[in-house]
Amino acid sequence: MLPNGLRVILSRDDRAPIVAVNLWYDVGSRHEKPGKTGFAHLFEHMMFQGSEHVAKGEHFALVQAAGGTGNASTWLDRTNYFDALPSHELELALWLESDRLASLPPAMTQEKLDNQRDVVKNERRWGVDNQPYGTWDEKLQGLLFPEGHPYHHPVLGSMADLDAASLADVRDFFAAHYAPNNAVLTIAGDFDPPAALAMVERHFGPIKANPLIPPPPSTAIDPIIGAEVREIVPDRVPLPRVYAAYRTPVFGSDGFDALEVVVDLLGSGRASRLYRTLVREQQLAQDVTTFTFPVIGGAAIFAIWATARPGVDHEALEAALWAEIDRLAGEGPTDDELARVRNLHAASVESSLERVSERADRLSMYTCLFDQPERINTEVSRYLAIDAARVRDAMAASLRTDNRVVLTYLPAQSPDGAA
Amino acid sequence: MTSTINPMRPPAGIPRPYRFPSFTRLQLANGLTVWMVPIAGSTLVNVHLLLDAGAAAEDEPHGGVAALTAQLLVTGTQRLDASAFAEATERLGIEVSSESSWDSARAAFQALPQYLDQGLALLVEMIREPRFDPVEFDRLKAERLAEILQLRAEPGRLADEAFLLHAFAADTPYRRLSAGIPETVEALSREAVVGYHDRHYHPGGSHLVIAGSFDPEAVAASVERHLAAWQGSGPGHRTIVSHAAGSRRVVIVDRPGSVQSEIRLGHLGIDRYDPRYFSAIVMSTVVGGMFGSRLNRRLREELGYTYGARCGFDPRRSAGLFSAAAAVQTEVTAPAIGELVALLEAARAAPFEDRELTDARNYQVGIFPLRFESTGGIAAAIEPIAVYGLADDFWQTYRDGLEAVGAAEAHAAAVELIRPAELIIVAVGDAGAIRNEVEALDIGPVEVVPAPA
Repeated sequence: MLPNGLRVILSRDDRAPIVAVNLWYDVGSRHEKPGKTGFAHLFEHMMFQGSEHVAKGEHFALVQAAGGTGNASTWLDRTNYFDALPSHELELALWLESDRLASLPPAMTQEKLDNQRDVVKNERRWGVDNQPYGTWDEKLQGLLFPEGHPYHHPVLGSMADLDAASLADVRDFFAAHYAPNNAVLTIAGDFDPPAALAMVERHFGPIKANPLIPPPPSTAIDPIIGAEVREIVPDRVPLPRVYAAYRTPVFGSDGFDALEVVVDLLGSGRASRLYRTLVREQQLAQDVTTFTFPVIGGAAIFAIWATARPGVDHEALEAALWAEIDRLAGEGPTDDELARVRNLHAASVESSLERVSERADRLSMYTCLFDQPERINTEVSRYLAIDAARVRDAMAASLRTDNRVVLTYLPAQSPDGAA
Repeated sequence: MTSTINPMRPPAGIPRPYRFPSFTRLQLANGLTVWMVPIAGSTLVNVHLLLDAGAAAEDEPHGGVAALTAQLLVTGTQRLDASAFAEATERLGIEVSSESSWDSARAAFQALPQYLDQGLALLVEMIREPRFDPVEFDRLKAERLAEILQLRAEPGRLADEAFLLHAFAADTPYRRLSAGIPETVEALSREAVVGYHDRHYHPGGSHLVIAGSFDPEAVAASVERHLAAWQGSGPGHRTIVSHAAGSRRVVIVDRPGSVQSEIRLGHLGIDRYDPRYFSAIVMSTVVGGMFGSRLNRRLREELGYTYGARCGFDPRRSAGLFSAAAAVQTEVTAPAIGELVALLEAARAAPFEDRELTDARNYQVGIFPLRFESTGGIAAAIEPIAVYGLADDFWQTYRDGLEAVGAAEAHAAAVELIRPAELIIVAVGDAGAIRNEVEALDIGPVEVVPAPA
């Protein structure tokens, strides 16, 4: 850790002459204030609009001209910035990342803000408003978490809040959340550790800590919703799709780990329970997907979606879905099923960690969320430790009817009256 | 906040050389070529079996039979039904994929090294003794038809499909999706799939790529054990000749109520053997292949019309398309089309600046090792060498090919490969809201067509 509080993780691997630089800032949409939704993400865009020594757009230009790639993303708990470059250009990435952390506000202008607000609105139109089923995640968040909970509102925010964003707002957001002591910097790949550390000290060392990082809003929430919540969404979709989501223990807990195994038992591979029964045997679903939201704010999310085959009634699909979940919750997985998902998981982790940018991102994540970078080494063993009893217990605790949000998309009439 | 004490861009260090892994080739007596690519440090192994059984090998009345055949393979063997086959493979941590493109069919898996031999045995069983269960045939055919409906509900995918349809001439098979359209998929029978498999799934002319961590001697023995008895060869693919649709025009695919228009514009591009291949990459990178490219800089960073704008080529065994793409908010559809056309015209009007060319070359040269940091990435990189018969040193000399593109070559590529008079412009959006303004651009005849049902 640098004296200014920046946590630095180094992970060396010289298989290829490339290096990943990854920064997690401990600020996501969860940290936004009411009326200021979408700011964390809008701010992420502003970070590419230039700083004291870097012109608008120059961050991407320099990284790409150096033969690298880079980008950033914003989610519920965090904002991450990442570059992957030829290893001899490591210092370029560190310099670029440090310059915007040290000196972004003076370079921000109304013109840049207006431009990026338009870009963000088009990102939303493209990814949400003009996409079939595009509103699913913000609707699930809105129904799983009550008004006032930091996960209730979407990461992209509301158009109205974005319209109201002023330059002063953006500067305030930066001052509050962007400081070395609110960040994790990971370097992974081919580099010389002492030299890399010297570069980090040279570029990030002079940046002052912010002793007044605002405490995150309270995320306290009941572990169970208490009653089933349902919404039907008429949308421009050809086939009905059922989404089911549940509140779960937070990412990092034993209960969440067990539900990761449930994700695979139910939905990973063609031998998974939902694919076998809903897609292949009963032919009710066109596709089935299971997944989690690994987040730490009071509760995390377990989710499923299944698209109905043409002509299949969505209620029949739903009933079959509940029957399979109840069956697994009741009888637990067989030894063969556990062996299957364990081998799939081991291969999948191996495959993900081949890429230095993925390894860097996970190291930043474990450090930012838990202060435990070494968790990356126990991903597989934690998974392998989950037995049938823990699967049953985790399902009994979370995958309950009174803890369920059901979102059903149905084909609607289009505005001109055609089907 | 204090200012950083380092106002200058730090100099680059000394580049460490990178070489694409070397590989060996083994020709079996049955005509199968085995490519072995050992990768130091890899903890996985990838197996890709490539067959000349892509959509280019089917005939038009059976459009989609190649894709359906490939997809059906994973639904079991004569010995193992769909459930048993899925369990047998996934118990090893293996998910077998089988799919096809225009130029090849590919059956593949990734595994931890200890499961290579068992995985290969199952893959070969799947290819040689498929079950083609009638129930599974009906199911996958229905899924494919529903999938097309789902794709067409996404404006971006609808724009891609409409662009193919309008940019190629009526006699060019590439004008439809390689996996078929409803009219042809609807007509496919199980017998057509069985017949397609009989004709086209043979070792003669096929390729087996094994990349990652393995013992070459053990693999050679494994290949001999599982593959030597496989015999036969097929007729291969037909010759596709690509023809352009004609002169410049605009097609609006009406999607009432859309808040964005998905724009595609372009025309016939190059094939995989074109001597201008590297010039085309560098040129299209400057114009629309990186964040700081002309298209993205103008439409996103200056005008805020879009989340991103790009362009590029899609070379195949025969000429694919050159296309530019952007999703823009409905109100600015006409000005966005005007900007895109003007930027393409400007790209050929004057040579590129040295700085632009240097950045584009450095970008493509630099991201080269990034593309090959995974075992699967390296296995996939062998495919064009195998399928198109490229030189064995294609990747070893790839960066030299890019470095050799100077200002004259890039400008020539722009002049020859961007042809404004032939631009086919497709916009999927709300015709009622955009038609008049698009017509007022006066860039060609404007036709409005309904979105497919």
